[in-house]
Amino acid sequence: MKLATLALSTLESFLQNRMIVLILVLAACVVLLMMFPLLNASYHTTAENQQSMASVVLEVISNVMSFVSGLGSLLAAWAAVDAVSSELKSGTVLAVMARPVKRWQFLLGKFLGVMLFMACYVGMLISVSYLLAWLGGVKIQAAPWVLLVYPLVRYSIYAALATLCATAVHPVVSMGAIFVVSILTDVVMPGTVAWYHKVAWLKTAIYYVLPSTNLLTEGRFLSLRQAAVKQTTLLEHAISLGYGLDCALIFLLLAMWAFHYRSLLRQD
Amino acid sequence: MTTPAIEFRQVTKVYRKRLRGVEIPALTNATFSVLPGEVCAFLGPNGAGKTTSINLLMGFFYADFGEIRVLGYEPGDVRAKAHIGFLPENFAFYKYLTAKRLLRFHHALSGGRKEEAATLIPELLARVKLTGYEELKIGKYSRGMVQRLGVAQALLHDPQLLVLDEPTSGLDPTGRKDVRDLMSALRDAGKTVFLSSHLLSEVEQVCDRVIIISKGRVIQSGRMDDLLGVADRVEIRVTSLPEELEQRVVATGGTIARNEHGITLVVGVAQKREVAEAVWASGHDVVHILPLRSSLEDLYMKTVGTEGGVA
Repeated sequence: MKLATLALSTLESFLQNRMIVLILVLAACVVLLMMFPLLNASYHTTAENQQSMASVVLEVISNVMSFVSGLGSLLAAWAAVDAVSSELKSGTVLAVMARPVKRWQFLLGKFLGVMLFMACYVGMLISVSYLLAWLGGVKIQAAPWVLLVYPLVRYSIYAALATLCATAVHPVVSMGAIFVVSILTDVVMPGTVAWYHKVAWLKTAIYYVLPSTNLLTEGRFLSLRQAAVKQTTLLEHAISLGYGLDCALIFLLLAMWAFHYRSLLRQD
Repeated sequence: MTTPAIEFRQVTKVYRKRLRGVEIPALTNATFSVLPGEVCAFLGPNGAGKTTSINLLMGFFYADFGEIRVLGYEPGDVRAKAHIGFLPENFAFYKYLTAKRLLRFHHALSGGRKEEAATLIPELLARVKLTGYEELKIGKYSRGMVQRLGVAQALLHDPQLLVLDEPTSGLDPTGRKDVRDLMSALRDAGKTVFLSSHLLSEVEQVCDRVIIISKGRVIQSGRMDDLLGVADRVEIRVTSLPEELEQRVVATGGTIARNEHGITLVVGVAQKREVAEAVWASGHDVVHILPLRSSLEDLYMKTVGTEGGVA
C-alpha cells in the first residue's frame, strides 16, 4: 500500500514536470516527421516491389523507434535521478520519511513510480510502432510482449543505475555518469574497434562489468521477418531478460544500501 | 520507572566537509530526556544544534557517538514513527497538490484507511482554519497557510509524540495563539510535545520542561518550575496607601511605584499578608497580588547570554 502510494505520487510528479513533458513532445515530433516518408513509401508500393519496400519500411520503423526508445533510456535515467534528488533538494523527503516508511520502501516506491511512467512511455512506443507499420503498409512480426518487455527491462537498468547515482552524488554528476556508462557499454562491445593491446584486458573487464543494454534493444525485433523472429527461442528471451533484470536488481540493491546510510538533509 | 519519550545519551554529531577538510561540531555529548505527557521547550540561539538534534531523533541522519531512543526505539524505526507527528522547520510540500490530497497522501503513508481519511481530513483542516482552501493548490498558499497545513499533517494520525520545529514560524498573532492553544490541548490529552522555538514568552505559557542548548552543548535542562524558581517577592497593587505603611514598606526593603493605574508595591512574600491587611484596615482596596518569579527570558539570557548565534 505504501509502495503504491509512493509510486503513484512519483508518477503524478512526472506528469507535472515541464522537462519531461518537453522530452515527450520532442519524441512525438520525431514520430510525426517520420509519418510522411512512410506514407510516401506506402503510396509507391507495387506488386513487384512489395517485398523490398516492406523491408525498407520495417528498417525505417526500426531506426525511428530505436531513436525514440533510446530517448526513453535517457528519460528513465533522468526521471529516476529527478525522483530522488528533487525530494532531497526540496526537503519534501523529511515529511515523507517522518511517516512510518522505511528508507528502502521510499526508494523502491520512487523506482516503481519511474517504471510506471516508463510503462506508459512503452505503451505509447508500441502504439506508435504499430501506427507507423500500418501507415507503411506492413505488419510487425514480433510479438507485442517482446516490444513491451524488452524496453521496460532496459529502462529498469537505467532507472536503477540512475537511482544509485542520485543517492550518492549530485544529479548533474549522476546524469554524466550514466552517459559515460551508456557510451562505454557500446565501446566495449565485442566486434567494436580494438583497444591498444596493453589495455585490451580492460575492455573485456568493462564489458563484463557494465550492463550490455544492446542485448535488450527491441529495435532488432522490429525489422525482423517472421522466420527470423521465430528463431529467437523462449530460452534466449529468458536469458537476455534475466540478465537485464539481474543488473537492475544489483543496482537497485546498491542504491538501497547507499540510501540507508546517507543523510536526508537538503543538498545545497 | 517510566520510559522517556525522548532520550539523548552523550550524543555527538560532527558535520564534515571532506573535500575542504572542515569539521563543524554540531552537538557535543548532549544528554537529556523528555518524559511522556510533557510539553518540552528546546531552546537555544541560531546554530546551537536544535535542528540537528531534531533531525537526529527523527532518524534523518545518524549520530557519530552516543545513544538516542524515541518512544523506546532507535530513531527512524517505523514502530516509533507510527506514533510521531513531525513538523519540520520549513515544511516543504508538493506544490501541485491540494491540501486535501497532500493530507490523503500522508494518511496513506501512515497506514490509514481511505474511509477514515474522508472524515478525518476535513476535521483537521477545520482545526487549523483551512476550511474553504482545501481545493486550492498548495503552491498558491501563503507562508502562514503552509505552516497551518504542516501542523495538520503532523496531527494526522493522532500521534503520541509531536516534534515541532518552529511551529509558529510565519504565523500571524492569531495563528500563534491557535498553536499555543493546540499545544495546551495536546498536553491535556496526555501527548508529549517536543518544541523548538525562539518565542520565549509563548513557550513559557505552555511548557512543563525546558532544555537550553548552546554551541552544541546542553547547558540547562529541567522542569520549568524548578528552573524559574518559586516566587520570593510579590507585586501588590493598591488604590491608596497610608503614609505609615509606606514608610514601613520602604524600611523593610520594599519598593513603591505610582502611576495612573494606582500604587504598586513590591515586597517580600513574608510581608504579603501584613501589607494587604494593613491596606484593607485603612479602608483602601487591593487591586491585585502577583507572585514575581524569573521569566523564561531572564533564565535564557542568564544562561545563554547575549552572544546570539549563527544567522
